[in-house]
Amino acid sequence: MTSVTTKEPVATPGKAAPKKARPGRRPSNIGTYLILGVLFLIVLFPVYYGLVGSLMGERDTNSFPPALYPENGVHPENYSKALDIIPLGDQYLTSVLQTLGITLGQMITSALAAYAFVFLNLRWRGFWFAVFLSTMMIPFESIIIPNYLLISQWGLKDTIAGLTLPFLATGFGTFLLRQSFLSFPMELRDAARVDGAGHVRFLFSILLPLSRPSLAALGIWSALSAWNMYFWPLLATEAPENQTIQIGISQLQSSDSDSPGMVLAGVMLALFPTLLLVIFGQRFIVRGLTTGAVK
Amino acid sequence: MKTTTKGVHSRRRLRYAVPAGIVSASLFLAACGGGDTGDGSTGEGGDKASGGAPAADVLDKASGVTTVAFWHAMDGTNAEALTKLVTDFNAQNTGKIEVKATYAGKYDDAITKYKAAIQSKSTPDVIQIYDIGTRFMIDAKQTIPMQSFIERDKLDVTDLQPNITGYYSIDDKLNSMPFNTSMPVLYYNKSLFKAAGLDPEKPPQDLAAIRTAAEKLSKKGGGPADYGFGAAIYGWLLEQFIATDGKEYCDQGNGRDGKATKVLFDQPEAVEVVKWWQQMVKDGYAANTGRDTKAAQAAFKSGQLAITLESTGQLGGYSKAAKEGGWELGAANYPHIKAGTEGGPIIGGASLWINGENHEDANKEAAWRFVKFLADPKSQAQWHIGTGYFPISKGALEEPADVTYRKANPLFDVAVQQLENTKLSKATQGCLLGVMPQARKASEDGLEAALNGTDPQQAMTKAAESLSAQIKQYNDSVG
Amino acid sequence: MDEVTDVTTTSGEKVLPEHGSGEDPGERSGTPSPTPAGREARREPFVAVLYLLPALVVFGVFIFWPLVKSILLSVQGTDILGNPSGFVGLVNYTRLFSDPDFLQVLWVTFAFTILTVIPSIAIALLIALLLQSRIKGVRFFRTAFALPFAFSVATASVIFGVLFNPASGVLNGILNTFGIDKVQWLTNPDLALWSVSGATVWMQIGYNLLVLSAGLGALPEDVLEAARLDGASGLRLQRSIVMPLLTPQLFFLVVVGTIHSLQSFGQIKILTVGGPEDRTTTLVYSIYEQAFANNNSNYGYASAQAMVLLVIVLIITALQFGVLERRVFYR
Repeated sequence: MTSVTTKEPVATPGKAAPKKARPGRRPSNIGTYLILGVLFLIVLFPVYYGLVGSLMGERDTNSFPPALYPENGVHPENYSKALDIIPLGDQYLTSVLQTLGITLGQMITSALAAYAFVFLNLRWRGFWFAVFLSTMMIPFESIIIPNYLLISQWGLKDTIAGLTLPFLATGFGTFLLRQSFLSFPMELRDAARVDGAGHVRFLFSILLPLSRPSLAALGIWSALSAWNMYFWPLLATEAPENQTIQIGISQLQSSDSDSPGMVLAGVMLALFPTLLLVIFGQRFIVRGLTTGAVK
Repeated sequence: MKTTTKGVHSRRRLRYAVPAGIVSASLFLAACGGGDTGDGSTGEGGDKASGGAPAADVLDKASGVTTVAFWHAMDGTNAEALTKLVTDFNAQNTGKIEVKATYAGKYDDAITKYKAAIQSKSTPDVIQIYDIGTRFMIDAKQTIPMQSFIERDKLDVTDLQPNITGYYSIDDKLNSMPFNTSMPVLYYNKSLFKAAGLDPEKPPQDLAAIRTAAEKLSKKGGGPADYGFGAAIYGWLLEQFIATDGKEYCDQGNGRDGKATKVLFDQPEAVEVVKWWQQMVKDGYAANTGRDTKAAQAAFKSGQLAITLESTGQLGGYSKAAKEGGWELGAANYPHIKAGTEGGPIIGGASLWINGENHEDANKEAAWRFVKFLADPKSQAQWHIGTGYFPISKGALEEPADVTYRKANPLFDVAVQQLENTKLSKATQGCLLGVMPQARKASEDGLEAALNGTDPQQAMTKAAESLSAQIKQYNDSVG
Repeated sequence: MDEVTDVTTTSGEKVLPEHGSGEDPGERSGTPSPTPAGREARREPFVAVLYLLPALVVFGVFIFWPLVKSILLSVQGTDILGNPSGFVGLVNYTRLFSDPDFLQVLWVTFAFTILTVIPSIAIALLIALLLQSRIKGVRFFRTAFALPFAFSVATASVIFGVLFNPASGVLNGILNTFGIDKVQWLTNPDLALWSVSGATVWMQIGYNLLVLSAGLGALPEDVLEAARLDGASGLRLQRSIVMPLLTPQLFFLVVVGTIHSLQSFGQIKILTVGGPEDRTTTLVYSIYEQAFANNNSNYGYASAQAMVLLVIVLIITALQFGVLERRVFYR
């Protein structure tokens, strides 16, 4: 487990492959390709169909058996139709604001708390540690009813505040940063103190900049989970323009239209940001992988 | 020295920074909390008459513009038609009344939101609630019955369709104003009927006839359609069969003589329907498309089903699909279990409620004028044409625009005839039950289990019994 | 403090000695602080709590208070507006465990967990091992197989909803070319749970693959090399050497996957709304139905179910910390 998070880019033997490859020693290569290929087709098919289907018209998707590629022309207007049926622009904005709010909030609260755990003379450290830890063991679904009632009572339904407030702190993030802070070189810390850097300056201008990889890992994990949230936004919002994109696309599906192409177009729009994050942020994702133990 | 000061400084700043953050956060909360109530009603007090209509002249005495908050559950083209009506009303009442319409989510969401609003004393002046929420609305004790406005104004209500107002009335007293109304009808594919050698002008009108037709229509029997018959597992349809047979859905005179204590969808007639449906599926003459109404609709539109049961609300969509698919659509009365029984379908849809509790008299009066406006023949004709919902006003059908519309959509007259021919009785008024949404779901549980092979009687009895705890809990809590 | 040490390992970190076992006054540096001592040293514990405060406020308001509230709700009745209608003792709980429908909910939850956790780990493991082979195109495959990870529950479920469509879905289209009749993926009561589980497995593969690949990548290369030189190859190498070294990751995935499956909601809401015949109504979905669907506001009864969920998750977490961690994670 240790090396999973300490080694930064995951060292994969695949990387070194060309050098070490020994031709002829792998008669099972064909078999490997075969199995990989079959798995590839199965696993990637929904991705393929989501993308290609989003461009197909009803003549392709509603006939039986349905087409596997656009036989009757490409229909990019599916995207504009999806935008028409749900207020996708508003929902995009809601999702972006919710994601930004949660991500920034978690980064700040986690950084402060982790700093206290590692660098400050915290009384009852064990107790606080247990408190933070316990938050990771309580499934949000088991306390979702009082949260719903709370947000309703405060009149925060249909607001960004209602969507973000319950998630502004995270035990996971605190532990992730704490772990990174623990490996901070003591000499640097002492030097900073000799220079007269107080806690705030040390934390924000020295420690956090040097912990960028962990901060990025936390940021990406927070952003992914905030963007992809479903249950809470379903309860915390009502008006379509205040809903998040995740709720929006699920309602596209139950709308009166029976154009799967249009529904898939909505899905692709919702998917776009996370797809980018996963493709370009993979090494940070791996860093945060196992800290998410409990949630 | 310099460095030390700096250190102390930043520490101090932090010390204040943290509590300041909390303070501003709570201010933020307070600000947001205040924001939502703003669009609700205009303050408390003045609810002495919450049980009845205020004096008729309150609005004349009121100064300035009275704002009416209106929550509705319409989206898409229905919302467009509604917005237009609201704009018209506001234009007619400039300087006096302004209606602010807000979409409160789909029916279930709207009622959930309404519950929260009751607790925070911020209910809207007018709210649109679905038919099956009627008993709940009465028991929530927030609203002023329409009847008290009608009696105060000695209003002539003979223009309203009695078979529609019947649903929302107890002891002939109207609680809420019906608004968007739909009815169930039988749709069939005339082209498939022809292809199967059936008379397309003679749609089946009872279970046995549907069976006979379906046998000829289904692929199984050598017919042109995948399945002769198919409809969603939708509790509403079962309610309709019980009503067309003249039977009641729940006890206490369909919940109109007193609070219903049990549902009756396990009575022999209902079980007969379920048994018939089960046999049709088993024999391959009916498709089981599940509960999602969209699945059955899609199958009918694509010609896989020849006969289906749906609401008048689907007429537009089906006509369009028929035109595009090159086949001819037919519509007929909702079938009876047996030919010759006295009974008819129950209307569905939603109605408008005026909230009295914690509302100013001027608001109540302004709300009433808005509701009256929506119910008049002109508005109803406009609404009918714009949405395909059934007009609640008889006069609406005489409006020139409506006559033209029905000439273009002749199938709609099937529904008009059906409504006018239905004799109003407790059975066709429909069941009022506090847990009606759950009852509908339970009946779907039963029907679904039967279609998947469970003994019909057993399935429906189990489903009916599963409700007893919920009904009891509901009745206990409203006293 | 036992759990504390355990968790630090879950977090995948080196078990660094931590000074703070509560009474330890020292900062992390251990060296005496060179800045103005006296006053600051006395104030620091207070300052330290201030740093925790933002997080603690959020936890207090949105986790701990709701937890207390959930327990309180679960021993009260609920009126038609959703207000608590007075203390009823354990009535909600006794109703729960005498209700055959709830026993089915528990069974469905259990079955769903088994049907999602095991296959998703098995498939991810197979892919991860195959991706260790030294063949061309591994990088491409690696990126491609990680793509499902980008899908949210909603996006994935909506796509699967389209694929599962009985009338014109691609799955039935493919079966059709093999002459197989249309399958009612989501409305056949014997099949629906399998279909929803299948979609869920797909959603899980990406994450599991990332964890297992990371674990494989971190294996000491010399061990693998030695094994290869010894003539161990292919499956034998993997079974005898790689797999035992991967047990930490596998156990980790079992626990995380189980908890994750127990919390699943979106795919059920979007694909089956709990049906047919409630055969896909899991615990979390049942909570949703009792509390929020069909104009229900049975917060009391739903809260009792929520407490059952909490207890199950706590037991599994305790298992992880208490038993599995200690046995497997150190090597």
